[in-house]
Amino acid sequence: MRIEITRSGGFGGVTRSWSLDVSRTEAEQRWLPLAAAEAGTDAEGPESDATGASRRGAAPQGGGVQRDRFTYRIAIGYTEVYLSESHLGDPWRELIERARAAAAPGAPAAAATPVPGSTERTGPVGDADPGKPEELL
Amino acid sequence: MQRIHCSIIPPHLLTRLAAVRDARLSVASEAARHALLELAPLLQVRSEVLRAPVRPGSAVMGTLTRRISDAGGREDLPGTLVRREGAPATGDAATDEAYDGLGATYRLFSEEYGRSSIDGAGKPLEATVHYGSTYDNAFWDGERMVFGDGDGEVFGRFTASLTVISHELTHGFTQYSTNLEYQGQSGALNESLSDVFGVLVEQRELGQQAAAASWLVGAGIFTAAVEGRALRSLAAPGTAYDDDVLGRDPQPATMADYVETTSDNGGVHINSGIPNHAFYLAAMALGGRAWEGAGRIWYDAVLSGSVPPDCDFRAFARATGEAAEKRFGPGSREAAAVADAWVRVGVLP
Repeated sequence: MRIEITRSGGFGGVTRSWSLDVSRTEAEQRWLPLAAAEAGTDAEGPESDATGASRRGAAPQGGGVQRDRFTYRIAIGYTEVYLSESHLGDPWRELIERARAAAAPGAPAAAATPVPGSTERTGPVGDADPGKPEELL
Repeated sequence: MQRIHCSIIPPHLLTRLAAVRDARLSVASEAARHALLELAPLLQVRSEVLRAPVRPGSAVMGTLTRRISDAGGREDLPGTLVRREGAPATGDAATDEAYDGLGATYRLFSEEYGRSSIDGAGKPLEATVHYGSTYDNAFWDGERMVFGDGDGEVFGRFTASLTVISHELTHGFTQYSTNLEYQGQSGALNESLSDVFGVLVEQRELGQQAAAASWLVGAGIFTAAVEGRALRSLAAPGTAYDDDVLGRDPQPATMADYVETTSDNGGVHINSGIPNHAFYLAAMALGGRAWEGAGRIWYDAVLSGSVPPDCDFRAFARATGEAAEKRFGPGSREAAAVADAWVRVGVLP
């Protein structure tokens, strides 16, 4: 299953995207429950965004006093979660590290994939491997 | 005229400051002379200042106090204190650049606008360098500036550009003045103020007239591998970089190209191109030292009370127009330049 990570904001306001293919088992046992848990932490509504995750499908609002931090959108199949950099848990950090490492020069070509609708890309053009159909979802 | 509501400075120091004839300290000196005349109503003013979490004006003259800490590649703040005010250079580029950059930013606000530090009350300036591993960012955490060293492939260290340091510190100024909400148009104004005063700090340090300035934010932090001059351009938003990996600078220059997006807190780093360009147009129309004309007007507007936390572009445009008329007079070339700039970017009809 493909996981797509889009990082926006930061001082530069440069949007970057990375993606990673994981097994369906890993996605279902590890990342989808984590995404569901993040969505559940937003029961208090948008005001709680300053504490990290936001409701599934809702982009983070600019609460709190931090400026120029990154915001992350992580899409696992059809499930997406928005996370503030300032409250990114270790599992998510590990996932982002894996995706970035996979996109680094010399890494397997399948790792670097443009996000649909995004003008940004990682890695050289033409390297993207869309993955076998059964792996996409 | 700047007012110093000064309860920290003893009267003898005020008297000395008031007598200073050094042109570089003219604002402070003028403010001190005014403060001496104001000692009587001081208590009332002070109680007002203490009641408000956001200080609308310069309150107290203080001294520059910098503290630079080193996170040593970890993401724990504040890290280890490595250079305090008055200490000699450490030899570590990021530490010394941060120290110098904070000083340059402090001097713009203090010597030009009479504001003592970011909060108007002499707040010490705190920064942390070498934050995280291959960390591609610089940010303001509400109390301190934090600088990464970059990944070495796209970004080098973030302290390499003075405008990054002054940008971050101006977030502190905004927090303690208007506290513009970091979302949508008010967020883009928050970003724009950091870019505007960020470039003014650099222009003043370099002694550059408006026409000679680069008007770039973040020049020098890309590695040689990146096709780009900087992260943003106030002169030509949308043209700062165009690179295979990073894509193209997404900033609009006018309302016709305003970007509606849910990412980046509603595009705060994107739509800031519009007020950025308005400032550039006003400054170029006026010529000369941008920090004395357009910069002064923007500063006055921020402290005028007409910029609420949820301010949109149009309300901010009106606030700068009123500030220009108040300082330079209705019908002045300054007021006309400001009004024209906002029309040209499509914010005012």
